[in-house]
Amino acid sequence: MAATTATPQGSVRQRNVAGSSKKTKDGVSSDVEVDKVANSKVVKSVPAAAAGSERDYKIVMFFVTALAFLTRFWGISHPNEVVFDEVHFGKFASYYLEKTYFFDVHPPFGKLLFAFMGWLVGYDGHFHFENIGDSYIANKVPYVAFRSLPAILGALTVSVVYLIMWESGYSLPACLIAASLVLLDNAHIGQTRLILLDATLVFAMACSLLCYIKFYKLRHEPFSRKWWKWLVLTGFALSCDISTKYVGLFAFITIGSAVVIDLWDLLDIKRPGGALSLPDFGKHFAARAFGLIILPFIFYLFWFQVHFAILTRSGPGDDFMTPEFQETLSDNVMLANAITIDYYDTITLRHKETKTYLHSHPDRYPLRYDDGRVSSQGQQVTGYPYNDTNNYWQVLPADDDPKLGRHVRNHELVRLRHLVTDTILLSHDVASPYYPTNQEFTTATITDAKGDRAADTLFEIRIDSGKPNQEFKSISGHFKLIHNPSKVAMWTHTTPLPDWAHKQQEINGNKQLAPASNVWFVEDIPSLLEDDPRRAKVERKVKTLPFLRKWFELQRSMFWHNNQLTSSHPYASYPYQWPFLLRGVSFWTQNDTRQQIYFLGNPIGWWIASSVLAIYAGIILADQFSLRRGVDALDHRSRSRLYNSTGFFFLAWATHYFPFYVMGRQLFLHHYLPAHLASALVTGALVEFVFSADSVEHEAAYQAIKAGKKPVAAKRHLTARERFAGQSMLGSWVAALVIFTLTFAGWYFFLPLTYGYPGLTIEQVLRRKWLGYDLHFAK
Amino acid sequence: MAGTDRAAVVSGADVGDAVRRRNVAASQPVAVVQKPEAEYLKKTAQKSPSFLDVLDQWEWLFAPLIFTALAFFTRFYKIGLSPIVTWDEAHFGKFGSHYLKREFYFDVHATPAGKLLVGLSGYLAGYNGSFEFKSGETYPEELNYTFMRQFNAFWGAVCVPMAYWTAKELNLRRPAVWLVTLMVLCENSYTTISRFILLDSMLLFGTVATTLCWAKFHSQRKNSFEPEWFLWLFMTGLSIGFVTSIKLVGLFVTALVGLYTIEDLWRKFGDTKLPVTELAAHFIARVVGLIILPFLVYLLSFAIHFAVLTNSGPGDAQMSSLFQANLRGTEVGRDSPLEVAFGSRVTIKNMGYGGGLLHSHVQTYPEGSSQQQVTCYHHKDANNDWFFYPNRRSEDYNAEAEPRFIGDKDTIRLIHAQTGRNLHSHEIAAPVTKADKEVSCYGNMTVGDEKDHWKIEVISDAASRDRSRVRTLTTGFRLKHEVLGCYLRAGNTNLPQWGFKQIEVTCTKENKPRDTYTHWNIEAHTNEKLPPGDPGKYRSPFFKDFLHLNVAMMTSNNALVPDPDKQDDLASQWWQWPILNVGLRMCSWDDSIVKYFLLGNPLVYWGTTAGLGVFGVLVVWYLLRWQRGYKELSEDDVDQIVYAGLYPVIGWFLHYLPFVVMARVTYVHHYYPALYFAILTFGFLVDWFLRNQKKAIQYSIYAILDATVIGLYIFFMPICWGMTGSNKQYKYMKWFDSWRMSDA
Repeated sequence: MAATTATPQGSVRQRNVAGSSKKTKDGVSSDVEVDKVANSKVVKSVPAAAAGSERDYKIVMFFVTALAFLTRFWGISHPNEVVFDEVHFGKFASYYLEKTYFFDVHPPFGKLLFAFMGWLVGYDGHFHFENIGDSYIANKVPYVAFRSLPAILGALTVSVVYLIMWESGYSLPACLIAASLVLLDNAHIGQTRLILLDATLVFAMACSLLCYIKFYKLRHEPFSRKWWKWLVLTGFALSCDISTKYVGLFAFITIGSAVVIDLWDLLDIKRPGGALSLPDFGKHFAARAFGLIILPFIFYLFWFQVHFAILTRSGPGDDFMTPEFQETLSDNVMLANAITIDYYDTITLRHKETKTYLHSHPDRYPLRYDDGRVSSQGQQVTGYPYNDTNNYWQVLPADDDPKLGRHVRNHELVRLRHLVTDTILLSHDVASPYYPTNQEFTTATITDAKGDRAADTLFEIRIDSGKPNQEFKSISGHFKLIHNPSKVAMWTHTTPLPDWAHKQQEINGNKQLAPASNVWFVEDIPSLLEDDPRRAKVERKVKTLPFLRKWFELQRSMFWHNNQLTSSHPYASYPYQWPFLLRGVSFWTQNDTRQQIYFLGNPIGWWIASSVLAIYAGIILADQFSLRRGVDALDHRSRSRLYNSTGFFFLAWATHYFPFYVMGRQLFLHHYLPAHLASALVTGALVEFVFSADSVEHEAAYQAIKAGKKPVAAKRHLTARERFAGQSMLGSWVAALVIFTLTFAGWYFFLPLTYGYPGLTIEQVLRRKWLGYDLHFAK
Repeated sequence: MAGTDRAAVVSGADVGDAVRRRNVAASQPVAVVQKPEAEYLKKTAQKSPSFLDVLDQWEWLFAPLIFTALAFFTRFYKIGLSPIVTWDEAHFGKFGSHYLKREFYFDVHATPAGKLLVGLSGYLAGYNGSFEFKSGETYPEELNYTFMRQFNAFWGAVCVPMAYWTAKELNLRRPAVWLVTLMVLCENSYTTISRFILLDSMLLFGTVATTLCWAKFHSQRKNSFEPEWFLWLFMTGLSIGFVTSIKLVGLFVTALVGLYTIEDLWRKFGDTKLPVTELAAHFIARVVGLIILPFLVYLLSFAIHFAVLTNSGPGDAQMSSLFQANLRGTEVGRDSPLEVAFGSRVTIKNMGYGGGLLHSHVQTYPEGSSQQQVTCYHHKDANNDWFFYPNRRSEDYNAEAEPRFIGDKDTIRLIHAQTGRNLHSHEIAAPVTKADKEVSCYGNMTVGDEKDHWKIEVISDAASRDRSRVRTLTTGFRLKHEVLGCYLRAGNTNLPQWGFKQIEVTCTKENKPRDTYTHWNIEAHTNEKLPPGDPGKYRSPFFKDFLHLNVAMMTSNNALVPDPDKQDDLASQWWQWPILNVGLRMCSWDDSIVKYFLLGNPLVYWGTTAGLGVFGVLVVWYLLRWQRGYKELSEDDVDQIVYAGLYPVIGWFLHYLPFVVMARVTYVHHYYPALYFAILTFGFLVDWFLRNQKKAIQYSIYAILDATVIGLYIFFMPICWGMTGSNKQYKYMKWFDSWRMSDA
């Protein structure tokens, strides 16, 4: 009998080489349908009373949840100091409460929750969480309220894990194993007791799995009210996930892969239960696209709208944004100090990136540089970081029109006259001192500048993202100075020139116009007296920008800065270290009491979960290889569970883990938490697989239906009790209790490092340095 | 065992026959087998074959001949027009010169085979290696650069007939085969890049050859273990070895063949009627042909490399001290005293792969302690010199007294010869590897503390078991900081620009005795009081050198990340290539110079890029239809899509995606191998869509495509054959601003 199931699969695979892996899933999942049918046949013989009551599940769930709250909240007020990244997220909450604009690489949802918490308890955000170790007591911060938010979410995560297993139809021991691996994991506990985003992230991720499973179970009643409810909730959970941190994208990949497989099955013309017509399939497709892509995206945008609506005042994040954006914030320096520049004004030009002034002095470029190239021997033009009259340049119109009071506008051609030496800025086709590819900047006398060098002294003011004819303003007008004949942009860099230029910065003409390092701004107009009417600060209105434009700008800036986070951190780790728990992160230490918080998982639970992942992969490989050779070692229902349900958890683990390998930014152990949760699910599922066997009676019924000998009965889902009816669960229970006890022991042993209490003696610290964990106070 | 082996081989032929017979039966190609015969009979039956028939019959000979002739013409014509060193000729010409002068050099970009061939071409041209190949310089009279360029162009030209045979092997119809061949022949960028002393023509040759051999091997799949099957298996292996020895980019085409092999074996694994012995034979044949053979070729190229380069040269410092000591004309190990004593002036070499010499200079750390920097540096200068001094607790060094030798467990100080400061470490995080401690140079002979003390821990000694002495070259030791208990380490992390991109030196707390980056040995050693010896008589084994050089290449290659401070005019980004957004100026744009511009044939680029998208749609289309129960594709059709379409697409991805992910500087010519696979895909698509159309439609579309390819090729010809005079006169080719073949 066994061989008959294998052979058709084999032939399917052989026919289509490209999508072989998909075919396997396909083949199996059509088995599932038959499986359901077969189940209901068997179940009829089981007493109906057992199916209805699941009181034992509820009791265990109650205890697990209670324990979760206990472990998360116990001693939550300790330490009463700023710990690790609370520096960031506490600060951001304060900024929200103060409504000052800030910039961060994470999306706003998680931070908004903290701000909401602060608002609930009436906190005003006066404390800015400047340093790790700052006292909360002295600064009167309601930090327990802040911390209880992640603690609540962290505790509920345990319940959600339990529910995922329950909903997926696993036995009670399996549910208990999965939940306890998260419940007693020191990393989950440690990360969710502090003002950090990961509690929100992990909770949202777990919810998205749960909701999708609920949704999938309703597949036989498509488009029903419940079906829609769970679809939308899945989308919402996904949206919360990605709106907390961008790694939430991985959950989209997990759910997305499952949806693609599901759609593929729906498309199947030989689908059990009848083929769908194409319009029906289109409806399925559209509903999922709407619920899982469009809706989450709208939610995601909504949080940004809230973000912008709250942050209306100028703040530390201004510098990350363009001047147009900054003008939308009140109390902004840009708004206050921008002055329109007229021709014949004297200005100082400052480089945006290196903050150096455009400078010139009577010294000349040396004839020959060290590498043998020659210069024009013209007057030096350099970058100088301090205020100096040699930084003064007068803006002259290209047409020499002597009329005063004319505004300089975008894209106009100007000449710049160096006041002190009375010369005109010029660039020409001579290599600069350091860059053979870039043009030299120098100055020419007035007569030359009016004579044969006239063209070379013309520069175009190109305001960054400016409109044609826009007025050129000081401070707010970020611009590039483009040399008109040769189209090079004035540029500078930090390598100082040799002694002949007093170690000042080199100014040269960059042929690449696009880079942001070409941007300059006018800092001041020294020719205007302090009391000049043009300096008068008119009460200016705060401008508005369309939401999508603001969002798009912020988004780009966030991605760009996220990619810049490559600097090394003493406790950063590599993805390969995570499943083995080779390294933790030191969060907080206190010398007097020898207390420390060292962020680390529960090694025992962690290693159990990781080894089970390896076992799972081994089982799947072995099954594939033996199937390929025509040996069928598994009954169809075990295989279906193994590939579909456990496979889904494994997929969640893989999609939450492997993408980190291609990420260039610095990574920490807490990035593994979502993947760890998935590995706990796999563990529970696999323990059940190992310690229980399917009944022979069922298999026989299945084969009969498959062969078309018996009629097909109504479809419904089976609970674990129905599946294991009349079977001894002793093995599973023993395994569950052993795992629970071991995990509990590990949790208890590492507890002082997670809760920061009590302090440890040298010997005690040394006993906890299992894999050479770099703990403090080891001597 | 031997008996069973033989039995397997002996019975192999029978089994092979059986398999073939079964397969034949499975896919009803009886007709196919007999058809050519029948046609042949029909043809011979006709009394007087017309001229066209003769042409048709001999197409397999004439077509490749004509294409080859055209290829040689387009690649060789006026090849010596520009007498100056153009673009990367500066690099590869120089490496060729090193081979001719037999000087050891180090190059991160490419494995040695390609440069060896450049050296060979120079040798054949009678060149003595004395020219420096400075970019933009005019070639001297005696250097026959025309021949060297022709040698390179040969590889490029041979790609054309190989493309013909590949397309044919992939079961494309004749007009499609011609189209593919024409697209390779009339590819301006292929033409241009083949005409200079560069490695790209050889790389292209290797890629095309591997694809051809793979296709040939694939069509032999029903003749397992026949001579021809073995021939193409080993030819595939050889070309893989060749292409990876040219540049490591060859690994991508290797991956393609690897994927094919896995799929092939998986299919055989599922055939339960196949005897296990035969399955094993298949497996072993592939391991030998596709792994061991290429690796031997790769090894061979390095063996020749080491055999040719026997003189000391600019690349010495990348290699281990023992290796250097065996180069002719080296200073390393010559007349050095054997054993190290206090007062010895030494250079200290890191024994990790690609390790440099312990170095310090007057520049200070910009952060941390702000003390003098300590780095690892590959170039030899006086700043690498250190003195061994006794620690501060023991008797001071006395230049007059008998020399005191240094051995295992001795605590010493190291004094930097140029600045007189002590090698020092302290509780300050290192500048880049924050987990480690910073190492600096501090104090002088009198100023200093316990933190200048380092303890010697001998790890190995190639010359002796006696650990009471530290010996020049042969002793490997670690330096343990006495106070902090950490080890001196240089782990191939580059410092930022303030440290001149030299290697960061740190003190690591991890005690890993096998971490070779914490191992050091004495390289140069002078001490007037000790008798000179010859420590270089021990040879370092070939495999160690081979590994060392390879790891050094890999690790230095990582340092090629783009420098945001440096603006590179020539570099381009991955997304610009498939849409032909940019070209590349290969030389200066002066009116007096013959100018070459690296740009492809627009139809080939745009067409093939669009083709990739069309192919994706095609696959999705058939998959969806298949799931909806349409049985429109026969098994042969599916095979055709997979092997003539999908595999080239995978090849394209394999050659393209790495450049998307890689964070290093990239140039347009990195796309050329990928382009070849896109061309094959395009050929497949045209063939697929036109094969069942009316003859008239077929002919007209093929005619239009062929004519456009040729027309555009001729239109853009000046950029390949060289533009003389003012660049303004070539304005007519400047379709976009980013095509900078003309300034106008």
